Amino acid sequence: MVEIAVLLKQVPDTNAKIAVVGGRVDESAVTSWVTSPYDEYALEAALQLVEAGGGSITAITLGPMRADKVLKDAAALGVTKLVRIWNDEWLDLDSNQVQSVLAEAIKESGADLVFCGKQSADRNQGSTGPGVAEILGAACVVEVSDFNAAEQFYLRPAASGSEKVTVNYPAVITFTKTESELRRPNVRGIMMSKKAQINLVSSDAGASQVTFKGHTSPAEKPPGKTFEGSDSVPEVVGLLRDEAKVL
Amino acid sequence: MVYEALDFYDIDSQLTEEELMVRDMVRDWVEEEVLPKIEEACSEGVFPDEWRVSLGEMGVLGAPLEGYGCPGLSYTAYGVICRELERGDSGLRSFASVQGSLAMYPIWDFGSEEQKQKYLPKMATGELIGCFGLTEPDYGSNPGDMVTRAEDKGDHYLLNGAKMWITNGTTSDLAVVWAKLEGVIRGFIVETGDEGYSAPEMKGKHSLKASVTSELVFQDCKIPKDRILPGVKGLKGPFSCLNNARFGISWGALGAAQACFHSAKEYALSRIQFDQPIASYQLVQNKLSWMLREITKGQLLALELARKKDNGSWIPEHISLAKMNNVDIALDIARMARDIHGANGILDEYCIMRHMANLESVKTYEGTHDIHNLILGRHITGIQSFTRSL
Repeated sequence: MVEIAVLLKQVPDTNAKIAVVGGRVDESAVTSWVTSPYDEYALEAALQLVEAGGGSITAITLGPMRADKVLKDAAALGVTKLVRIWNDEWLDLDSNQVQSVLAEAIKESGADLVFCGKQSADRNQGSTGPGVAEILGAACVVEVSDFNAAEQFYLRPAASGSEKVTVNYPAVITFTKTESELRRPNVRGIMMSKKAQINLVSSDAGASQVTFKGHTSPAEKPPGKTFEGSDSVPEVVGLLRDEAKVL
Repeated sequence: MVYEALDFYDIDSQLTEEELMVRDMVRDWVEEEVLPKIEEACSEGVFPDEWRVSLGEMGVLGAPLEGYGCPGLSYTAYGVICRELERGDSGLRSFASVQGSLAMYPIWDFGSEEQKQKYLPKMATGELIGCFGLTEPDYGSNPGDMVTRAEDKGDHYLLNGAKMWITNGTTSDLAVVWAKLEGVIRGFIVETGDEGYSAPEMKGKHSLKASVTSELVFQDCKIPKDRILPGVKGLKGPFSCLNNARFGISWGALGAAQACFHSAKEYALSRIQFDQPIASYQLVQNKLSWMLREITKGQLLALELARKKDNGSWIPEHISLAKMNNVDIALDIARMARDIHGANGILDEYCIMRHMANLESVKTYEGTHDIHNLILGRHITGIQSFTRSL
């Protein structure tokens, strides 16, 4: 029986257009929010582990009220313990602050194992899993690409193939893309999620150690090149091979 | 090309959190599992069995029914399910409509307790598939004149006759069949394997190709006495079922229309003629504006009808109006989208021609466009115009 905390981050839909205002993503202009894709792999792994050996899952997110959606989506898949961490005075927490408040909620949950994506789809920093492990004094295995729920071992890419590891508790596991896509909910799960209670918590995030000084947009892409006629085929093939490196 | 469902008036903001989650579930499934396979299913003329399994696993079969393994969702949620399914294909929505509204509903509303317990839980999971036998080769819009007969033989009923244009017929485990017993229309549950029952598939369709359409043939078909639906007599039985199915169609047609609009908009923005995207020309913009206008009106109509279904203030004529209007505009939108796509619109690379061909059937099944007009005409004038003495 294992207690697993799954960290779920709500991010702008990876297919949605985003606008940058004042050097920051304009969240008010984001029309669609989703669970960060790598976190979905973490959630599916947790569901399979509990199905195989028993236990329970606590889904934890950090964010304003709109982030309840990722918890409700998890509830539709059978997760019964839901925690949202928030304080309306938090404007832009740095990585240390995020890890700190997440670690506090994980301690409260009594989890032995913490699952999360290797990085979020918006910031792509990859610091949450290792940072939380550091605060908790837990072992940390990153970039897990496969797992065996029954025997509880994990596979991760290595220079010469893949490593198979087991880990003592407490531990933090971060997931990259695995073969196990997050399962689809069903109507019964969706109806159950309506009754699910979300526990809203807050804690002292401490002072930020990072000061945002500005933002530079990536350089404009150069205009595309146009080729006409069959005579240009060798040149196009050469460019695709040597410059674009797609052949 | 990421699908952006047209929702000009933000009508989906009227949906509950639960209804939105159901929408997203079905929309994702259609996107991931149906659209990559639909053209192959059409070209082979099959309804892939894994779709039956998935629909059962998702729990959307018989969605608005409550108890006996059914979830008891709102009719609004049921409408949303139909819309998302038909965005994939009308044949897919037809499968779910027939299973839920035409086969499960009469058992749920008119069946005995034993019948409900025997059939409904397995029909909700898709383990048992049902069909609905009302239309006959010579009796479509006037089912009251049906010739299929049931005779009471003491320890069983004997069915004779034939039904036609039956969705899911060949692949069904059971059929809810309407036949006259001593001159009164009654419902009977016929199981595959019953002596004297066969369901040959009808081939050669240019429409609803990913849907199984069949004849049902009864030749001295013996039915146990406990398979009659005890709770209804007369046309009220089949018409109650059809009201629910037509409600689903009024939403479903919007899904097909939204798919055609989306494709037409994307195509118009990317197709360059005379050095400009054709979307920049006034004639094309006029067409897109008309599509948006009609889809938005249809969405408002469907939502208000769903609210009436949910609060019980509906009348059958409300459903006739919505079914007739929304299928009508969907078909016109599909034709117009084909026009915008030019020659490309006839290719299976685009959904347009498939939706257009499907909607030609949807326009005349479950009450033809004209019959729904006459239902409204009767409502307005109080004068029945279906029949007259010659």
